[in-house]
Amino acid sequence: MGFTITEKILARVAQRPAVRAGDEVLARPDFVIAYDFPGYTDVIFKQMKDDFGIDRVTDPKRFALFIDHMVPVATPKEEELHIQTRQWGAQQGVPVYERKGIGHQVSAELGYATPGAFAVHFDGHISQLGAFGTLAIGLRRNLLEAFVNDTVSLRVPATVRVNLHGELRHGVMARDVFHHIVRVMGPASCAFKVLELGGPVIDAMSIEGRQTLCGQAMFVGATTAIVNPDQKAIAYARDRARIQLDPVSSDADAVYERVVDIDISALEPIVVIPPSPARTRDLTDFIGLPIHAGYLGSCASGRMEDLRAAAQVLRGRQVAPGVSLHIVPTSQAIMSQAAAEGLIQVFSDSGAFVSSPSCDYCFGRIGTMTAGQRAVSTGTLNVPGRMGSTDSEIYICNAAVVAASAVAGSIADPRPLLAASAA
Amino acid sequence: MALENISGRIAWIFPDEDFDVDQIVGVKNIKITDIEELAAQAMKDYDPTFAQQVRPGDVLVGGVNFGYGHPHYPPLRAMRHLGIRALIAESFSPGFWRGEMSMGFPMVACPGILKVAKRWEPLTINWARQQVVLASGTTLPFLPLASADLSMLEHGGLTGYLKHRASGTTA
Repeated sequence: MGFTITEKILARVAQRPAVRAGDEVLARPDFVIAYDFPGYTDVIFKQMKDDFGIDRVTDPKRFALFIDHMVPVATPKEEELHIQTRQWGAQQGVPVYERKGIGHQVSAELGYATPGAFAVHFDGHISQLGAFGTLAIGLRRNLLEAFVNDTVSLRVPATVRVNLHGELRHGVMARDVFHHIVRVMGPASCAFKVLELGGPVIDAMSIEGRQTLCGQAMFVGATTAIVNPDQKAIAYARDRARIQLDPVSSDADAVYERVVDIDISALEPIVVIPPSPARTRDLTDFIGLPIHAGYLGSCASGRMEDLRAAAQVLRGRQVAPGVSLHIVPTSQAIMSQAAAEGLIQVFSDSGAFVSSPSCDYCFGRIGTMTAGQRAVSTGTLNVPGRMGSTDSEIYICNAAVVAASAVAGSIADPRPLLAASAA
Repeated sequence: MALENISGRIAWIFPDEDFDVDQIVGVKNIKITDIEELAAQAMKDYDPTFAQQVRPGDVLVGGVNFGYGHPHYPPLRAMRHLGIRALIAESFSPGFWRGEMSMGFPMVACPGILKVAKRWEPLTINWARQQVVLASGTTLPFLPLASADLSMLEHGGLTGYLKHRASGTTA
């Protein structure tokens, strides 16, 4: 019987001829990635030295640090955290990427998403490197292990293979597809397993769409998500790749825990209603619900196709009075591209607030809501308090829905506006 | 080193699927860092007398996909401060599992536990037999832990585990 892409990657980094789901291994990450955040990087730097007497990480080129939260800083204490990160990076010879955008996206732009590579982070949204056939796992505090050892302890996860069939309808985006998967399969359906995505929908989908899908893997309980790298993924990753690896793919007779086929031909835009990412509903059931804020951005959404869809809705239209619409491209490279395409002007003319890349809107550090307010958002999460007051509400939806709702002042269906713009 | 079996009473049962642990202290209180203050908030919405009734060594029981959402550390810190020693659930959300395991907090996934668990009933987690044994006589197997997780529990959490790894002895 054949092997999954996950088993192949982990066999290589565990230096074994082969591994199977369930095997316990010590695996050497090709890349160790983190953003600076209180309680994570500062604690890791301190523990490395104080608890383990380690002054330097081995092979610093494997490591990458991002400054993407608390950007720009609002307090001296936040700046002190960034200073500590810059100093640690300089002392260790570890690159620190600052203000380049959200690290999970910039990692791909900078070649850490090498097909066949194994990457670790503390944050689970790193799973989006799976769009390039990289096995990327969020270890939470266990990331410390990768700083004090060459290897991390892992149980090789089983894989749930999901084949997506059909064609996306007009106005339906990758974001809707992901939440539909949660709805169909359930929020625990892939617990401790890898979600391997494939089928005609994935084949036809852009790299950006795959990043959106893979980045949200934790909400079906998955350890990570991955797509077998095709020409599209390799074309993006090959010239950027920081290490030379032969891409690997699941064998045709790979052993899966389960194979699920989902047809998305009838899928309509969705909203994920408070208070949990498990609560996926049809957009059409929530049309007209008043909103106070809109957020288009995050590591999940905020890439070119999201920005283009929003611009199509916003061109020649105005954000409703009393609504704050924040549009935050996921990286500087994306922001520049959006500027070159004239999208920034469309946003600005519509009355949207356009920000340089930052993670801070997604977790309510800025653009914060007060009690009784409601947002439509392409952020990662809708738990209470995520974007401010615990008595505010977040409705997650695709980028076009955010834009259309901001124009209407209430949750709105973007499809008539998209059709009118296209005409 | 072998893990000591855990015997205690079921101090509370959270039957909800996809239970968000932040509810334990209330989402509004999630940024409290003072442990006494946190513990004072814990379980207020479920049973205001919880802190008075719980005893050191007691355990919690949870449902399917326990810890889903965006789990923070303070709720279980508060529970441990009140004496809670372990958590038995139908199944766990991986992010929550990894986070609390790194704190050295004993957890076992035990399908069927919700059907048989009654509040205040004593039970034992028997590590060697991989069973949860209830006072009623019911015995349920729990899912085997990875050896790295067991080692983390034996050594009091991530730091102890990594020091043990660094000492060169295996698992």
